[in-house]
Amino acid sequence: MTDEQYANNEQNLCITDDSVTESADAIYNPEAEEFFLNIKSDLGQVDRLVSEAVTNLVINFKFISQLTKSHYEMVMAIEKLAIPDGSEPIIELLRKQMMIADKIEHELEAAVTSLQFGDLVTQLLAHTSNQIDVFNRVLQRIDRHSSWQSKDKNMTDLHDSISKAIQITRSRSKQKPVVQQAMHKGEVELF
Amino acid sequence: MAKTILAVDDSASIRQMVSFTLKGAGYEVIEAVDGQDAFDKAKQRTFNLVLTDINMPRMDGLKLLENLRKISQYQSIPILMLTTESANEMKAKGRSAGATGWLVKPFNPESLLEVIKKVIK
Repeated sequence: MTDEQYANNEQNLCITDDSVTESADAIYNPEAEEFFLNIKSDLGQVDRLVSEAVTNLVINFKFISQLTKSHYEMVMAIEKLAIPDGSEPIIELLRKQMMIADKIEHELEAAVTSLQFGDLVTQLLAHTSNQIDVFNRVLQRIDRHSSWQSKDKNMTDLHDSISKAIQITRSRSKQKPVVQQAMHKGEVELF
Repeated sequence: MAKTILAVDDSASIRQMVSFTLKGAGYEVIEAVDGQDAFDKAKQRTFNLVLTDINMPRMDGLKLLENLRKISQYQSIPILMLTTESANEMKAKGRSAGATGWLVKPFNPESLLEVIKKVIK
């Protein structure tokens, strides 16, 4: 659908920017309002849970990182003490300890990429919440203007009204800020 | 003397991951919670590089980029965009506003350090 068609739809429905944004003080359908508020509340709950989980994971991450650093330094110190005696079994054990430290460090680097999921989720939730908000307002506005509960309206009118509400919501929504489908590293481009 | 990087993101976890990566490589990192905070900090001292998110409250990353490029000492400082946005039109906006490069989240520490090493002055 073109911008012009969207504009025509909005004119047909008597929907303007002002009427949509200021519709909150004239709610026609409290059930719909409550329904959409509940969805937004659920999204908020998901966001809070994810944020708390991410905060805890970052604390765990930092703690493991500090322990790894201490472990590495300790192994280096022990190695210095052990070398003069040339005790091969001890040197071998320390070598294995160093390999473990290197592996942990490698895993921590991978965790830096994975731990960014919270930011992506938060942005997607905000985008979805915004779409629900706009859809609610547009539906409320259409509800007031079309009175689809009246006897002379049929299911086609109802279907058309909902379709128009979806089209307007799409036209009002910002572009989706996150298109990533997985937590692989993103592309890099130098200008 | 360690080079100083201004890391701008409204997400605390991203700021922490960026700081962890950059500090581990020997850079000094100053964090800013949004574009306005970053702009205020950038006016107080000159950083060697700015790494900024785009979608942020108060002042977004593109506006920050435009504002920084208006300040004489930031005209040649590398400014990298680190964002979830990957649409070509957004990249074009960043490029025309003077961005040095574009990194799509999630970032990989190795790639981030490689890019920074290439462009930092």
